[in-house]
Amino acid sequence: MHKECKKYFGKISQYLDGELDAQSCEKIRQHLLACPECRHCVDSLRKTIDICRNMPKEKIPEEIRKNLLQTLRDAFSDKFNPKS
Amino acid sequence: MNLIKTDDTDHRLITQFKKGSVEAMEKIVKRYEESLFNFGLRMCGQMQDAEDIMQDTFLNAFKGLENFREETKLRNWLFRIAAHACLRKRRKKKFQPDRELPLDSFLPREGADVKFEIPDLSSDPAKELLRSELKQVIDDAVRSLPPKYKLVFNLRDMEGFSTEETAEMLGISLQSVKTRLHRARLYLRESISNHYKDDGGHA
Repeated sequence: MHKECKKYFGKISQYLDGELDAQSCEKIRQHLLACPECRHCVDSLRKTIDICRNMPKEKIPEEIRKNLLQTLRDAFSDKFNPKS
Repeated sequence: MNLIKTDDTDHRLITQFKKGSVEAMEKIVKRYEESLFNFGLRMCGQMQDAEDIMQDTFLNAFKGLENFREETKLRNWLFRIAAHACLRKRRKKKFQPDRELPLDSFLPREGADVKFEIPDLSSDPAKELLRSELKQVIDDAVRSLPPKYKLVFNLRDMEGFSTEETAEMLGISLQSVKTRLHRARLYLRESISNHYKDDGGHA
């Protein structure tokens, strides 16, 4: 990896997240135009983020849902049914 | 000056809960249980732990709701509680040792031609088996992240909190959030890619 590539390596996530100032962003953008290795690095990192974000969520087992609600009802029974 | 940051629905439900409405409590649970459960599962890896995290979070949240001034979104508040529940659980169980992920460890070796094999997600039904395998690969990779990186990754990338929100929830600097997130992503890319390379590139 060239010296210039190393300089930008630590900033790629900020670049992808739009968290860099305009000048830094433009420097990286220009570098990517000229450097296929860094382009691959950025693309593969972007792909990694996308596939992780798009993974389906696990459904909560019904038994766990029921237990949770019962636990909460019991824990706060005084609040919902105040003793007169 | 109105300092309430919760959205209208949450604000209404919080107000009703404070007045003693069990229905409001159940609606709050319904709004956030799936996210909290999945957060717990990604952090701890086991269904039982995920259930514990979710339950602890809601118990502590509803206990503290009387004093919650809504200066932050309810979702942010819940996940702050959940993050600390995960840290407490980890301290009790010590199921994953701390380790650092130095940035240098992700730099390609001199002269090495590094190509990352990251599968394309496809809506093709014939690729259902591949998507199922990919989910397992990702789940395993996230689970194997060292805890402090996993926490930031889960809050930023999986739950969509901003850098500022994540820093505030965890009590760390903005730079720490950015550093940990970047290294977590590099780690995951490597982990996922190595699986598909070792697998003969079936992706």
